[in-house]
Amino acid sequence: MELQDTYYNKSEYVETASGNKVSRQTVLCGSQNIVLHGKVIVQSDAIIRGDLANVKTGRFCIISKGSVIRPPFKKFSKGVAFFPLQMGDHVFVGENTVVNAAVVGSYVYIGKNVVIGRRCVLKDCCMIEDNSVLPAETVVPSFARYSGNPARLITTLPEAMPDLMTEFTKSYYQHFLPTTVN
Amino acid sequence: MAYLTQPDFVRYVCSCGQLKPITNLYFCRHCLKIRCGFCICHEVDSHYCANCLENMPSSEARLKKNRCSSCFDCPSCFHTLSTRATFAQTRQDPAAGDAKVENKQAKKMYYLSCFNCRWTSRDVGIPDQPVASGGWPERPNPFSARINQLLDYYKAIAQQEKQEKLDRERKKFAIRGKYITLTDKTGLTGAMARNIAGLPSSESSSSAIANFVPSVASAEVEELPEDYHLREINLKQVTTMAQRLASPEWQPASVARLHPVARPLSVKRSQRCRACDHNLTKPEYNPGSIKFKIELLAFYHMPEVKIISHESVKPGQQSALLLKVSNPTSHEMALRLLPPDHQAETETDETTETHEKNEPKSIEKSLEKSLNLEKDTTWSKVIERKPQMPALSQICIPEVTLTLAQRDDAAEYDDDPQHDTSDIILWRKSNKLALRLKVSTDPSAEVGQPAQVALSLQYSYRNTVPPSAQSAQHRDHTLTTTVLLDLGTVCE
Amino acid sequence: MAQNIKILPGATVCEDCTLEGDITIGGGTVVHPRVTIIAEGGPIIIAEYCIIEEYSTIIHKKSDKQENPPKPLFIGAHNVFEVGCKLESPFGHIGESNVFECKSYVGVDVKIGSGCVIGAACQLTVPQSLPDNTVIWGSEHHNREALEKQPSQLLQLDFLSKVMPNYHRLRKPNLHKRQPSRPSQEGAKV
Repeated sequence: MELQDTYYNKSEYVETASGNKVSRQTVLCGSQNIVLHGKVIVQSDAIIRGDLANVKTGRFCIISKGSVIRPPFKKFSKGVAFFPLQMGDHVFVGENTVVNAAVVGSYVYIGKNVVIGRRCVLKDCCMIEDNSVLPAETVVPSFARYSGNPARLITTLPEAMPDLMTEFTKSYYQHFLPTTVN
Repeated sequence: MAYLTQPDFVRYVCSCGQLKPITNLYFCRHCLKIRCGFCICHEVDSHYCANCLENMPSSEARLKKNRCSSCFDCPSCFHTLSTRATFAQTRQDPAAGDAKVENKQAKKMYYLSCFNCRWTSRDVGIPDQPVASGGWPERPNPFSARINQLLDYYKAIAQQEKQEKLDRERKKFAIRGKYITLTDKTGLTGAMARNIAGLPSSESSSSAIANFVPSVASAEVEELPEDYHLREINLKQVTTMAQRLASPEWQPASVARLHPVARPLSVKRSQRCRACDHNLTKPEYNPGSIKFKIELLAFYHMPEVKIISHESVKPGQQSALLLKVSNPTSHEMALRLLPPDHQAETETDETTETHEKNEPKSIEKSLEKSLNLEKDTTWSKVIERKPQMPALSQICIPEVTLTLAQRDDAAEYDDDPQHDTSDIILWRKSNKLALRLKVSTDPSAEVGQPAQVALSLQYSYRNTVPPSAQSAQHRDHTLTTTVLLDLGTVCE
Repeated sequence: MAQNIKILPGATVCEDCTLEGDITIGGGTVVHPRVTIIAEGGPIIIAEYCIIEEYSTIIHKKSDKQENPPKPLFIGAHNVFEVGCKLESPFGHIGESNVFECKSYVGVDVKIGSGCVIGAACQLTVPQSLPDNTVIWGSEHHNREALEKQPSQLLQLDFLSKVMPNYHRLRKPNLHKRQPSRPSQEGAKV
């Protein structure tokens, strides 16, 4: 089925020169540490914790409503350090999802209500199904589809995953339109 | 993406008769046929650990029983264990003796810990290790002697059978000698070829067979302890079935005996067309790479059909159906819609296909037989099935030939859709076309039944395989494929 | 509802959270933005060195069989409430050093000891009492007993209480010793 248009209130969103569309109802802490690489959509009530460490996303990422992007911490002998969180291109993060990963590759689909534990590494081209819980420090290999609590590999993804994700995030961006005010 | 998050509304008919979404199909450029995971050959390319992303040569993988040597899974919840370091606990506790502090700081100790269920290697009394990876004590398998004996026995039998088979083959086929080089091409491991080429002396195998003592079932079973049924059980101390079966050698009954399980390896696999032995997919060697050396996906070679929207299907009525068809190839595509039963007559490449099937077999056949992996040429008949085509609903086929422009990645930047609309063309954007069709449903269709409709697409395909010397293949083909569209259920 | 929010010195409480009713937040505790703490059924007392992360909700629910005056909900020291967890206990007592992982839910009438881990997305709805060092995980709510208590998060608290004032508007401690207030400007939005 084709993606339907999603409409947003024009006054709610800020569009930057690089095409990022960021809702005003988000909590972007430490925004000087947050880099959104263009054409990224951050929807309302999302939280990005740039105050803890740098957060970088690639192009065409979608961060849905109520999701929390939070750099993970690690304990060392001499204190705690928060790791920067890197996200590749064409990543979809579903609603109310918590991402504590260290690295999220490109072409990654994370469903809604998912918990990605601390310092997880999601390689390029993987998918985490809705309502899954990925325990801390999990490595999700490419072309893996994880599901459940704790999430396990359930099947593999088609080889065309990069194209599918590119098409999906691009068309999501194209279908994310301001409501026309008459 | 919708392919992964939604049910498969559009399914294609594979040449073996399976119905699959386009993302799960492959397109063999040499046979010009659709293939699916069910009717192709899967081969292991390389072994790697999905956790540490280390490659492991297949010989080593076999030796390690296909398990990673540095990563472990939690025996309690099967999540991957993390290595944690412990430091001298001096900072919070300055009162400790100086000598002891020195000693502790010099040695950093490591233990394994699970972040999911908080199991640690200390729970079962595994001593902390001075090195971060490896060095974990390996538990000897209590039955290793017997298992090795069994392995030797079966290896000897296999060897013997292979030898017999080879002898028989030798009598049948005169052509010999070339096969070692050919083995490389068939994707069989070199080890296997070596096994056959340098046959070990038959005496050793026969001794393994002769010395083998089969197991004997015994009627005597150890008595259960007296208080077995009376003892109070702490369920937290008893392992679950899954935990026991995760380490079949020991099958621990108590949680105190759970040991870390070495992580099973993953494989990269390549896929091969069974009819022509060409690769359909071949991944890059590096475990972290998502690129492919060969990637013949249907998604890149066949017109892709998507449902934009449709009216609900009602018995005895016509309903509108909007389809999007896109051309993923870099050549212009001529497209005709046909009724689904049209397929058999338009099979133009039947001859070339059978031709290809017959020719290169003669040499390979002897080779495969000698490798004891006799290719069963009847496979296609065995797995082939006729998909059930829905008959109650039909698409009213328009008598036009449509042209679909080639894929153009720059097209998304110019935003003037060509307005070449007609009765059936709703819009056109670079290589995409939206079609307005009508579905008529038989009055006898029952309400609540799944509403499905089939459609054949005849499309022109330009073969981009560099023409080989011996076969002067023409480059342009007309191919047909059938798709099955799922339109929900029949409504009132 | 009477607003009576007591923040002890040394606590880091973001302004962008919902605090209603009679709430006491102990020293050294860090409350991240978008936290909801509602004391409708009685006071909530949060001891020292707890971490309460984004979107977590702690509610002292009103109930019919409540004593008068209502018993406070006491949350022990060193508890960690991860993103999106929900605690609805009027039961009175949460021990020390527990971890409530992301999106976990602890319903009414659940008594929690010390050193417990409520795994991510685990829902505890049935009245029960968790002994010390219980670990609950997975969709089937497996539980096991951990060998030792969960390690303390003092180092993380250290870091947070140093860094958060640079980025967030904070509520000022309003009890006991005066602490120099350190309001700060939240950076401009992207």
